[in-house]
Amino acid sequence: MNNGKLKIGIFELTGCAGDALLILDCEKELLDIFKAVDIQVFLMASSEVTDEKLDIALVEGSVSTEKEIEELKDIRERAEVVVAIGICATVGGIQARFTDPKEWENKYKEVYGDIEMTHTKAVPSKPIDAYITVDTYLPGCPIGKDQFLNLFTRVVKGNLPERYPRPVCVTCKYNENDCLLNKGIACLGPLTEDGCGSICPNHNVPCFGCWGPVEGANLTSEYHLLQEKGFDIEAIKKQMANYSGTKLVEFFKQLKKESK
Amino acid sequence: MKIVKLKKENLFPFLEEISKEADLWAPTKVESDRHKFQAIDDLDQIDIEYTRTILPPRKIILPPTINMFQASDKEYKEDFSHVSKKIIFGIHPCDLHGLLIMDNFFTHEFYDPYYMESRKNTLLLGHSCWPDENCLCKSTRTHIIKEGYDLFFSKIDDTYIVWIGSSKGDDLIRAKEDLFEEDISDKDIKKYTEWGDERDKAFQTEINFDSLRDLMELKYDDPLWKKVGNACLACGSCTNVCPTCNCYNIQDRPVLGENYSEIKRCWDACTLENYSEVAGGENFREKRSDRLKLWYTHKFQVYITEYGKPGCVGCGRCISTCPVDINVKTVGKSLDGEKVDSFWNRLDKEVTK
Repeated sequence: MNNGKLKIGIFELTGCAGDALLILDCEKELLDIFKAVDIQVFLMASSEVTDEKLDIALVEGSVSTEKEIEELKDIRERAEVVVAIGICATVGGIQARFTDPKEWENKYKEVYGDIEMTHTKAVPSKPIDAYITVDTYLPGCPIGKDQFLNLFTRVVKGNLPERYPRPVCVTCKYNENDCLLNKGIACLGPLTEDGCGSICPNHNVPCFGCWGPVEGANLTSEYHLLQEKGFDIEAIKKQMANYSGTKLVEFFKQLKKESK
Repeated sequence: MKIVKLKKENLFPFLEEISKEADLWAPTKVESDRHKFQAIDDLDQIDIEYTRTILPPRKIILPPTINMFQASDKEYKEDFSHVSKKIIFGIHPCDLHGLLIMDNFFTHEFYDPYYMESRKNTLLLGHSCWPDENCLCKSTRTHIIKEGYDLFFSKIDDTYIVWIGSSKGDDLIRAKEDLFEEDISDKDIKKYTEWGDERDKAFQTEINFDSLRDLMELKYDDPLWKKVGNACLACGSCTNVCPTCNCYNIQDRPVLGENYSEIKRCWDACTLENYSEVAGGENFREKRSDRLKLWYTHKFQVYITEYGKPGCVGCGRCISTCPVDINVKTVGKSLDGEKVDSFWNRLDKEVTK
């Protein structure tokens, strides 16, 4: 069927499917979305899928098994444009937070013991750009409705979005919040990509980094600032690692070297 | 200039009257120590005993995001929906000076209709204040105001001395003339000057702004910049809270289900990493220290050359906002040769970029 509409696939790898759910939750805009494009694959909405060529693939979730590596490579072959959506696809998510491969192996043994997996083999979780070229990213946990619709509209009109990552602090100031760091609260706002509307600091709850690390974040300074304010170093590291997936591995290696 | 008197209990009846014709904005208390300018529905929301709001009143004239126009391949439709008749009550002298700088900036070389249309529809009602430890307006000589307001309320005990600064301000008074008195007595004048002397003595911080203009140039390669660059979190907060910062970015947002785009104008901050990025991915100020140098050059040096006064109005917002103590006080004093106690001075770490 060729009705002149762009063919879209929405795929879910390892994650909570929260991003796919958010797309389905765009109730007011759903008719416009379906009118604008021809959705070929969207398991959250329909079990009917095709294996046709795609114009755009939106991929949620991290890559955690060998089967998913193959699936992802197939998506890349099928689609003209691949967009990573959500924190798991963009940085690897919580399941990729291990800072060294040994840690992953130990945890794997702890959970699965010696059981042999028959259908596929598990691999340490990674963001999708560890295996394929990604055309653009939409972080978030889950992604924001407004940002998704903005990206979606741009992509279907033939333009990739202009990424303009900024830290959470920008929106937090627009919302006229007092800086939580100045109140002695360990907030990760300066290290985290904006997009949530600073929803946690708006309620005096510190940012815990769920949009992932923002480009150009000054990790070293914030780390030492929190340390000076008397926070437990290990707790700070854990908090920073929580949603940064594989992206802060180098930073943690550097810290380890420094502390020796 | 005409000066009148208003009893404290007559303030709200006056504000009530003038807010019939325009949206009234005023400082409100959000938390024990947090204030912001908000559109007022109920006059009891107003808390005039504030020191500083998180964002300066420029946000009322030009909000963080506005729609400039709609554009398709056939049509161009301007959007001035952010413009409406507004009255801002309770602006301190530093912020009035900030708006004077904004007015100058947006008309100086190029006339900016999005700012100016909104500005022309806004009346500014100033209010006297008392400094805290972060107020620097005496050093920037912005603690007194002679122009730039429509009315200015100096509170002395239970009375306001009301300075009329424009014909529009005079019209406001005339809307409820019977509330005001014209006879300012010698006793009132004495009280007012005594209050001014006391207020001037209450400043706790002084910075030598006269020398900063040259020091900025002489110390352009000072190790200080590397230090602040190492500590800067690049969060953009100093810029977003500054009453004289005016940079913006334009975003093209196509509308789903329509054949046009909305062209948005959004605040931007030169202290953010992507600000200086251009097509092809080149970034002129990738280093935080270079971005801070640019910001401080504007505050301490360039505006003096361009507009005859510093780009800092001494409001103290960067001081109360920056979590790593990079602000006009610590940077200014450090340029002037003083050793300041600040996180950026204590941080003894090399940070890449």
